[in-house]
Amino acid sequence: MDYIRDFFINFAHSWTTWISGGLPGWAVTVVNFLLGGLILVMMPVIATLALTWMERKVIGRIQNRLGPNRVGPWGIFQAIADAVKMLIKEDIIPDRADRPVFNLAPILIFVGAAMLWAVIPFGRRMIGQDLNIGALYVVAIGSITTVAVLMAGWASNNKFALIGAFRVVAQLLSYEIPMVLSIGVVVLVVGSMRMGTIVESQWVPFCLVLPVAFITYVLAAIAETGRAPFDLLEADSEIVAGYFVEYSGLKFGWFYIAEYGNLMAVSAITTTLFLGGWRGPFAGAAPVLGPLYFIIKTVLVIFVLMWIRGTLPRFRIDQMLAFAWKVLVPAALVNLLWVAAALKLPVPQAVQYAVMLVGNLAILGVTLTLLGQSAKQHAKRHGLAGA
Amino acid sequence: MLSQYAFIGVFAIVAFALPIIGLLMAWLLRPKKPNPAKNSTYECGVETIGDTWVQFKAQYYLYALIFVVFDVEAAFVFPWAVAYNKLGVYALVEMVLFVAILLGGLLYAWRKQALDWH
Amino acid sequence: MTDTMTSALPFNDAIPGAVLETTPNGLVVAAEKLPELARHLRDQQGYDYLAMVTSVDWPQYLEVVYYLCGVAQPKPGLVLKVRLSDKANPVVPSVIDIWPGADFQEREVYDMMGIRFEGHPNLRRILLWEGFAGWPLRKDYRESYYEEDTKPLKSRHPDGSHLWAEDRVPWKDNVTYPVGVDPDLWVSPQVQYRRIMGVDQGGNGSSLNTERVLVNMGPQHPSTHGVFRMVLAIEGENVVGLEPEMGYLHRCHEKIGERNTYLMNIPFTDRLDYISSMSNNLGYVLAVEKLMGLQVPERADYIRVIMAEFTRIVSHFIAVGFLFNDLGAYFTPALYGVRERELILDLFEAASGSRMMCNYMRFGGVSADLPEGWIKRARETVWDRLPRVLGDFETLLSGNEIFLARAKGVGHLSAQDAVAYSMAGPMLRASGVPYDLRKAAPYSIYDRFDFDVCSRPEGDVWARFRVRMDEIYQSLRILKQALDGIPEGPILAGKKQYQMRVPAGEAYSRIEGPKGELGFFVVSDGKANPYRYHVRAPTFINLTSLEKMCIGHKIADSVVILGAIDIVLGEVDR
Repeated sequence: MDYIRDFFINFAHSWTTWISGGLPGWAVTVVNFLLGGLILVMMPVIATLALTWMERKVIGRIQNRLGPNRVGPWGIFQAIADAVKMLIKEDIIPDRADRPVFNLAPILIFVGAAMLWAVIPFGRRMIGQDLNIGALYVVAIGSITTVAVLMAGWASNNKFALIGAFRVVAQLLSYEIPMVLSIGVVVLVVGSMRMGTIVESQWVPFCLVLPVAFITYVLAAIAETGRAPFDLLEADSEIVAGYFVEYSGLKFGWFYIAEYGNLMAVSAITTTLFLGGWRGPFAGAAPVLGPLYFIIKTVLVIFVLMWIRGTLPRFRIDQMLAFAWKVLVPAALVNLLWVAAALKLPVPQAVQYAVMLVGNLAILGVTLTLLGQSAKQHAKRHGLAGA
Repeated sequence: MLSQYAFIGVFAIVAFALPIIGLLMAWLLRPKKPNPAKNSTYECGVETIGDTWVQFKAQYYLYALIFVVFDVEAAFVFPWAVAYNKLGVYALVEMVLFVAILLGGLLYAWRKQALDWH
Repeated sequence: MTDTMTSALPFNDAIPGAVLETTPNGLVVAAEKLPELARHLRDQQGYDYLAMVTSVDWPQYLEVVYYLCGVAQPKPGLVLKVRLSDKANPVVPSVIDIWPGADFQEREVYDMMGIRFEGHPNLRRILLWEGFAGWPLRKDYRESYYEEDTKPLKSRHPDGSHLWAEDRVPWKDNVTYPVGVDPDLWVSPQVQYRRIMGVDQGGNGSSLNTERVLVNMGPQHPSTHGVFRMVLAIEGENVVGLEPEMGYLHRCHEKIGERNTYLMNIPFTDRLDYISSMSNNLGYVLAVEKLMGLQVPERADYIRVIMAEFTRIVSHFIAVGFLFNDLGAYFTPALYGVRERELILDLFEAASGSRMMCNYMRFGGVSADLPEGWIKRARETVWDRLPRVLGDFETLLSGNEIFLARAKGVGHLSAQDAVAYSMAGPMLRASGVPYDLRKAAPYSIYDRFDFDVCSRPEGDVWARFRVRMDEIYQSLRILKQALDGIPEGPILAGKKQYQMRVPAGEAYSRIEGPKGELGFFVVSDGKANPYRYHVRAPTFINLTSLEKMCIGHKIADSVVILGAIDIVLGEVDR
């Protein structure tokens, strides 16, 4: 029973004990690293297989459709069929493309998507490596995506891809700032960049304490993954598919996998930073519940992102950048200062949290009021222009 | 500590290996029948007019420049945030000053209309 | 001719010698006086709207036909005709300076008839490709597989069996090339987009030396609503020049129409604006009925109005839904619209036997009576379902902040410009010109119904969206009255017949199609086939202002502006 209660950790122990019977110590480490690495690297692929099916079903339901229902029961093998198709599809490289860069980009984008998983805590002590700079690592690895996307767009020698790549420069960079700042707020409250510690210290989920940081992070994360309503990088109705328009076969597949891997990763990071990670009722007593809670919360976040995609139209590039620089960045900066000030109050932590919440709500209120006013002005400016 | 980064290193190698193995597999399986029309640049079915790699509008890079300023700041925020509880009120004052300068910079860029799209 | 004689003709006291002759079908105008007369008509006489430009190839001369009317103060139509007896080198002065809306129409006349318009800045082929030889709408032009001038072709039914000409050629459905032509070596003629590249203007005036890039949006593009192509000149994200390229779906609808008998043309009109085939049917049969002087039974008139208004709802649902698709709202509003369309198409199917290509109207009535229970189903749709769905649409779309930010102030067209560019339908009304042919020049029985003309003053994409939504409500109003008032009775004047006698003459009928003024210009010489058959396609002419609306906006906006025009390529390319 005890073995079941903390199944994954105990299983890992048994495994290590078993292989260390016949291997020297360093080899055990290497084997474990390789194995752990392999499992985590597969995460984007698993995410794609699961999430494409989920997204098709969810969006199908939103649009009064059934979604896939032909390949296997409820169409659950649809993603596998797609994977096979991508594997055996002809790979077309345009004659005018910059071949080395063109071929490297899909590999690099997958690396960026996979490496994120090294620091995501699925449960207590269930983490690739609890790096002491975990939060910073997430930000740093996230930037690989930017480089890979830029490489793909530039190397394709295609005008749509080029516009997509330029938009990447503006969009991903702009939204990195609010993202970093909102992660910074969490780090400030916790006092550590370890992902494990961040989860441990959330006796109340941070989304309830720091709503501004939470909303800023989610918005920035949507933009960083290039999903609707911020999917300007690939805007299918404008620049067809943006930076990966020239890719086909499995090279396109890696972009696709990276997209869904990133979607899952940012949802997992949102869960870790703001929703209490693997914490939940009885998770302390039965740590095997931890991963379950973690996955449920992550899927909930993903569902919300899919819901947004099925509902909202897309922003325009100027509106989108203005939103990052004129709304999110100032709000995140003010929030950072407020939280820092609240932490210096000589009162118990619960009171500090309450002060933070009040400040956050105030920032939220002011931001929304200002946004509403500017929207009204915009409407007024154009409202009677033709009269 | 070091073994942690050894793991990241091993992880990176595995992460590079997987897509390469996948592409090699696809290379073995897929058909290879290129022809000039197929390999031409996609532009909605007509031939492209003019060159793609030209001196394009600089507007996008303006944002990249502002980003650099703020990213340096982010690199400063993280160590500050970690050590914050161990520092005194001075840490707060110093951050207020720092952010005030940044906000001033943002405001300057805003007023200069560097944040508007031309 | 003496001065006294000519001054008796209309407008000759203002522009002496302009009008040469008055005919029952319009005024014959001297070619060299045309711009002067046009300016006079626009500025002094209130003919501010150039509804249609087309041409007819008569045995002795080529005739360019201009159909004018007043929009600011509604005026009945005025037809101007310019006769060009030099068929080898016909030249007319262009009226593009007076009515910019003549732009594409003059290009089309040039393309089809080879009439050159002097002063037109961009006179090149528009529907046909650059390498095409010949002027297809001239009477002496003969297409491949040509057998005889008019259908039914005698060779097709030798002894009770049918035979296709395509099966008789030795290479079957393959094609051959003239001697010495190798298709692999063939290079398509290049068009130099000098105008929008700014080559002639000498740089872009910016201090930073950046270059314009030409991007082809379309024909194989997700949001050009078919095989339409926009050549965009961009600087960064900004559109600095735009040139529409069309004709990828051109099938010489008008030439086919001249070969066909009158009745054979009805199913062909279905394929024009394939979203709203019922309206196309209506426009065409009205034109021919005008020539024949037919009276339509009352029940048939009611059925026609019901079908036309259902078609308008279908078309506007599709337009609004796909506008959101262009805005990037992953198919959800589009599919909501398509669902309602399917339910209305069920009604069409029950009445006509076909969902999309209804082929329902006939000269003097409709082809079949409404089946039993049809009215009840239609009433459920009109009274219960559509108002509820419209409520859903309003909550989902109308107040959406992103949509408002994307649509307000985008693609602005002022009222003057809208009239000058010959905009029609929701495009015109969204620019603050409350001009609706159902009110301005009522046809069928529209004068019996009580409804409002929807108009918005803003002239932007949002106003176009809003006008379309409002028109759905007005269509529901008309439908309620029509479904309540539909009488029993015959549905066809006279008996069904394949071949009818259409007396010689000309008729231009205009109806308010869902997308704008849908006109059919039919010329009869008393034979079994139309002598000339021209379609005034509203979206084709609405595209004229695309460049003006897009310049200064972003790439993303150009797609949305195009979506708000609501083009259907079947009609644009014909």
